[in-house]
Amino acid sequence: MKKILSIACIIIASCAMLLAMGAGETPADELTGVAALARDGEKLTHDQLVLKASDETGVFRVYGNTSRITTAVEAFGKLYNIQIESSNLKDSEIYEKLEIEIDGKINGADMVMIQDGAQLKSQMVSTGNLVNFVPLSVKGYVDADDQNPLVQQYINKLFIWNNKGDSVKNFTNVWQFTEPEMKGNVIFKSPELEQVNMNFLIMCTSDKWAGKLAQAYKNLYGKDIDLGSYKNAGYKWVAEFLGNCTFIKSDTTIAEEISQDTAAGKAGLFVLSKLRSSSVLSDNLTVGEYRAVETGTAIEPFAGFMYPMYAMITSNATRPYTAMLFIEYLMTADGFQPWGKSIGAYSGNGSLPAKEGDLPLSTWKDCLVMEDPDFILSNYEDVSSFVIKNL
Amino acid sequence: MPEIILENITKMFGKTAAVDHLDLLIHSGDFITLLGPSGCGKTTTLRMIAGLETPTEGKITIGDRVVFSSEDGINIPPNKRDVGFLFQNYALWPHMTVYQNIAFGLENLKWSKPDIESRVAELLALLKIEPFSKRYPSELSGGQQQRVAIARTLAPNPKVLFLDEPLSNLDAKLRLEMRTELKRLHLSTKATFVYVTHDQLEAMTLSTKVCLMKNGIMQQYAPPLEVYSQPANLFAADFVGNPAMNFIDAKAACRPDGSVGLKADSFSGVFMPDEKFKLDCSDVVIGIRPEFIGIHDEFQPGLQGLDATVYSNMPSGMETTVKLKVGETILTSVIFRGVDYPVDKKVGISFLGDDILLFDKESGLKLVSGSLKTE
Amino acid sequence: MAKDQAKAPRMLFGNKVVVFFSKPANVILVVFFVLLCMLTLYPLLTLVSETFTVHAGRESIATGQKRGTLSLYSFKKLLFTLDDGGEQGYKSSTSWIQFYSPLFNTLSVSLLSSFLAILFGGVVAWLVTRTNIRFKKFISAVFVFPYIMPSWTLAMFWSNFFKNVNVGPGTSNGIMAAVFGIMMPEWFVYGFFPISMVLGLHYAPFAYILIGGILRNMDANLEEAASILKTPRWRIVSRITLPIVMPAMLSTLLLVFASTMSAYAVPVFLGSPVRYYVLSTKMMSLMSTYKGQGYIIASVMIIFGVVILAINQSFTGKRKSFTTVTGKSSQISLVNLKKANWPIALILMIVLVLLAILPLVSFALESVIIKAGDYSLSNMTLDFWIGRNLDYLDQGDANGILFSPKVLKALGNSLLLGISCAVIAGTCGVLVGYGIVKRRGTWLSGAVNNLSFFPYLLPSLAFGAIYLAMSGKLPFINGMFALILIGSVKYLPFASRSGINAMLQLSNEIEEAAVIVNVPWWKRMTRIIFPIQKSSFLSGYLLPFVSCMRELSLFTLLVPTSDTLLTTMLMQYSEKGWDQFGNAINLLIIIVVLIINFAVNKLTGASIDKGIGA
Ligand SMILES: Nc1ncnc2c1ncn2[C@@H]1O[C@H](COP(=O)(O)OP(=O)(O)O)[C@@H](O)[C@H]1O
Ligand SMILES: [Mg+2]
Repeated sequence: MKKILSIACIIIASCAMLLAMGAGETPADELTGVAALARDGEKLTHDQLVLKASDETGVFRVYGNTSRITTAVEAFGKLYNIQIESSNLKDSEIYEKLEIEIDGKINGADMVMIQDGAQLKSQMVSTGNLVNFVPLSVKGYVDADDQNPLVQQYINKLFIWNNKGDSVKNFTNVWQFTEPEMKGNVIFKSPELEQVNMNFLIMCTSDKWAGKLAQAYKNLYGKDIDLGSYKNAGYKWVAEFLGNCTFIKSDTTIAEEISQDTAAGKAGLFVLSKLRSSSVLSDNLTVGEYRAVETGTAIEPFAGFMYPMYAMITSNATRPYTAMLFIEYLMTADGFQPWGKSIGAYSGNGSLPAKEGDLPLSTWKDCLVMEDPDFILSNYEDVSSFVIKNL
Repeated sequence: MPEIILENITKMFGKTAAVDHLDLLIHSGDFITLLGPSGCGKTTTLRMIAGLETPTEGKITIGDRVVFSSEDGINIPPNKRDVGFLFQNYALWPHMTVYQNIAFGLENLKWSKPDIESRVAELLALLKIEPFSKRYPSELSGGQQQRVAIARTLAPNPKVLFLDEPLSNLDAKLRLEMRTELKRLHLSTKATFVYVTHDQLEAMTLSTKVCLMKNGIMQQYAPPLEVYSQPANLFAADFVGNPAMNFIDAKAACRPDGSVGLKADSFSGVFMPDEKFKLDCSDVVIGIRPEFIGIHDEFQPGLQGLDATVYSNMPSGMETTVKLKVGETILTSVIFRGVDYPVDKKVGISFLGDDILLFDKESGLKLVSGSLKTE
Repeated sequence: MAKDQAKAPRMLFGNKVVVFFSKPANVILVVFFVLLCMLTLYPLLTLVSETFTVHAGRESIATGQKRGTLSLYSFKKLLFTLDDGGEQGYKSSTSWIQFYSPLFNTLSVSLLSSFLAILFGGVVAWLVTRTNIRFKKFISAVFVFPYIMPSWTLAMFWSNFFKNVNVGPGTSNGIMAAVFGIMMPEWFVYGFFPISMVLGLHYAPFAYILIGGILRNMDANLEEAASILKTPRWRIVSRITLPIVMPAMLSTLLLVFASTMSAYAVPVFLGSPVRYYVLSTKMMSLMSTYKGQGYIIASVMIIFGVVILAINQSFTGKRKSFTTVTGKSSQISLVNLKKANWPIALILMIVLVLLAILPLVSFALESVIIKAGDYSLSNMTLDFWIGRNLDYLDQGDANGILFSPKVLKALGNSLLLGISCAVIAGTCGVLVGYGIVKRRGTWLSGAVNNLSFFPYLLPSLAFGAIYLAMSGKLPFINGMFALILIGSVKYLPFASRSGINAMLQLSNEIEEAAVIVNVPWWKRMTRIIFPIQKSSFLSGYLLPFVSCMRELSLFTLLVPTSDTLLTTMLMQYSEKGWDQFGNAINLLIIIVVLIINFAVNKLTGASIDKGIGA
């Protein structure tokens, strides 16, 4: 019996090695296939795109990690009479599926709407798995920085708190969230469950934000920050912030929970657009930055963070022109309508204004922590280990 | 009708042999019993002939057809062997009625519907179970179930019929009744019966030939009366016959006149063999059937063979079993009438007839039969 | 006939093969041996190979190597990074936080919950089989509810019921606090205790079924013999009943242990809010970041599973000697509970109502209120069930679930999946059971027996992940086919258990009696064996069906879209926070499963307890 076991172990181990070695692969360099089509497609007008797209057949498949993609897809399908399937998946699922589909040459998605710039860059753009496309008709309106990869929209997560009760504390400095009385009263979605949250925490440790955090500390407490064993103020803030956090699995639930009458004294860092939901008692909530604009006292040094949602074509798309047409559609007012109709979403197309009552994208870009994929990638291992230890 | 020949059949379960190098020839029309204590390999043997079990080694022929041969890699499945099998636990299909149970096999043999109907009716009548044809097995008594099982087995008119302890689940009276019926069935069907039992009485009364087994090894294969009167060894002698044979250890010595002088603990005597034989051992066992011990009512010391006292007395009406004490040895005697000896009565006994047996004590083999006189 | 003889000498080996394969049981065993190797061992190899491989994304960034490169990075990081804890020492090192502490938590949760399951299930089993307790029918019918319901049901209910503003996120009060004004402490609402409790309660029916089966089959004479000797009741229980069912209890304990180890949804609901992590939750989050480490955790869980299987086998080996002699249902004299009867029955009923019925009521309630926590009539609507054009709600769907094409399609898919898996797994279970029992004692039979039980020990999540990885290499494994395939393999153990049990109860002669009269094999199966053991076999169809309908982790990585199945849709809705739709769908799943379970039970006599019970 022992003999059989040990032989089995050896066989398993060696097979495992073989399988593992077989899995390697090399990315292509030259532009071919869909990438080439997309490059040429950037010179096509809207009408030409429509024409090309109408030649394509089969089901058009879209993955997106936003639920409203369904609405956009339906409208688009009706408009051009195209059969579309859309799937609303988690970002990690999309990355996983794409990888398998593209590697395995499985007929999968033609186009994706996806967040987490760092992973996108390392896993999809640099490998050529996803292809960028900027429609000619909107090129002029999209910020140069937002063109490669193309940002379809920005989404912000803000410090928002419950304003019920007599002693409502209004926050003007992010260090306030790290104070002992806030222990367990800050609600956040675990950075393990959503990578953009992790990205935000990583960005906090960058020189730029660490510096600002150190300054904010001084402004709040009137003394220099004592870093102890932390590498910089960013690490210290992240650790203490996470230490005060309670984690809830979804931003919608956070919004709902914090808005409860019973949730006095609770604060959260979550997607602004959740305030739209009828199940959220928005009257009970104060959005930090809105209040800041009213009172003229901004939250130091940031009011939350913001991340892009990208729209890209898969390198194994069977309907590449339809994908281009859809991307173009998403960048128009009609295509953006499902998101643009409420606050908290900002089109990459600069000519589309933010929802009435909301602040313009440019303001948000100034007061929120933005993703820098390169910084995130080079510090990921270090900071994410640090973050995980503080969960 | 087919002969069945088993050559050198062995069946191993793991390291133990359930059946050990068995040779057996069964003539057509025979009623053979496989007899032996529980666990001796009877069922296994039967199942191997039927094809339900695969022998480890050997060759089986049924009629002119080799149905199994380990050497030639032949193994004909049971359904192609044209045999019937009556299972010990009946194995009636609980979800079918009596009628369906009997008819199902015939349907599979592609009998026509009217044929099936008439055959089932015939069997229902033969086994006297007509009233139950619509019932399910669970609604029948043990004896009725037994009859259904027999009917089901007989239905396709098998040329060879295997029966595995078919009567062991019945009460004594029913068993007796069914025994008669089986014997009658054997005559009327003219099929070859191979019958497994651990009950020597059943074997004696039913079969034309008994195959006596022990620990997978065949001990004797002979007609029942021969097994009774000329058992091949101590085991056979002991297993067959009720009450059991008396065994007396003795020292033997040849005498010039061809007789054998015997010295047992409680007596000595002289044995006159029926035929010439060579005695090459001194430790022997004397085997005496109870009916060969005669009792003399009037006690006459030293006159009539041996002195004995009645140890216990069990009259059953037709016959009486008497336990006798001779010295320290207890002997069993059967007299064919009802008598009631008081316990401790002193009697005289003698050994009757010339079917007294001598066995080699060491090997257990029968040496010779003959008559015994006390000295 | 004569032909056979003539050919024989030359075709010795060939003949042997022919003879071997002329037995249907051998054909079945060989076919399933090969199939199961491909469907379980090959995936396992893939899994092991994944632990040595660099994956795209985070791992690739961290190691600076291309994906697919061989590397020990994942092992080093997950298992051997014990020195980066700084001043606080190893307790705040990566490996401790990511692996050892969750491992410890997993083991403690599994241990406590399996004890609870055995205790609760065992006591109820004893009450139902051995005493004259009232409402037996009701108790035994309702007691299996928690096992039929998705596992997160009770977890959701627990937190809804006990949460309050003092614990966890502390944003709202549950029923206990709002209605009774009782604030439960945090250890009671979140973390180790409630996770163990909920898992224990979820698996108690499983223990109840297994132990109940043993008690029912146990020869009552054994107890009666003791009672004639004037042994007091408690002594009979402790000296006769318990020792006899002990091997079965240990075996049940191990099976429950294996199941609770890979439970995912419950620790997520009840652990995460207070940062209580177990291996399965860690594995899930690693699967989307550091896959290699996720696969290592999966491997560790499988190793535990195999060890458990090995231990279990040594128990069941003994167990057989206690319980195989059955069939004679001798009259059991029931313990008279006398005055205690009513109170015990009442308490049990209350507990059952709390466990099995109140959750359903709470889901119904949660699915009709608009704003959470407000249970006034003005805040209620049936829109989530039967509404149309619900743009004002701005949640996942524009229609109530009963009119939503999306939900109905998912329901259709779930049913299709459940039925397909049931048919495939159930039929395979019958065949495997037949093969294994017929060839009992042979090497092949033992191997197929173990292989067919093996999928039970593979954590669903890991199993799903492996198939996903495999589908990359074998592209035909995708869509509905992949789901049906994995569902059938995963639930084969249930079906093959039923099949084996059914076959064991059937004496060999029943089939041989048909063999003798030349009934072909398929006809023996369909006309004799299956009809006789119909309800046992059908139970082997029912369990895979029920399991598929409520399964999440197994399918979550393999569904084409999360709208594909009701459960994945439910999880998505729950993640998105669309709780009313989520609750409504949850209730829909439970009702569908209960109705089908009930219907099948009434129509065929098959039941879940027959399936897993011995
Ligand atoms: N399937 C089996 N596996 C292992 N041993 C068996 C099997 N069937 C029978 N045996 C053993 O073979 C021997 C002979 O059994 P069997 O032929 O049933 O005896 P019996 O003479 O009572 O019918 C017994 O010792 C029994 O234990
Ligand atoms: Mg027998």
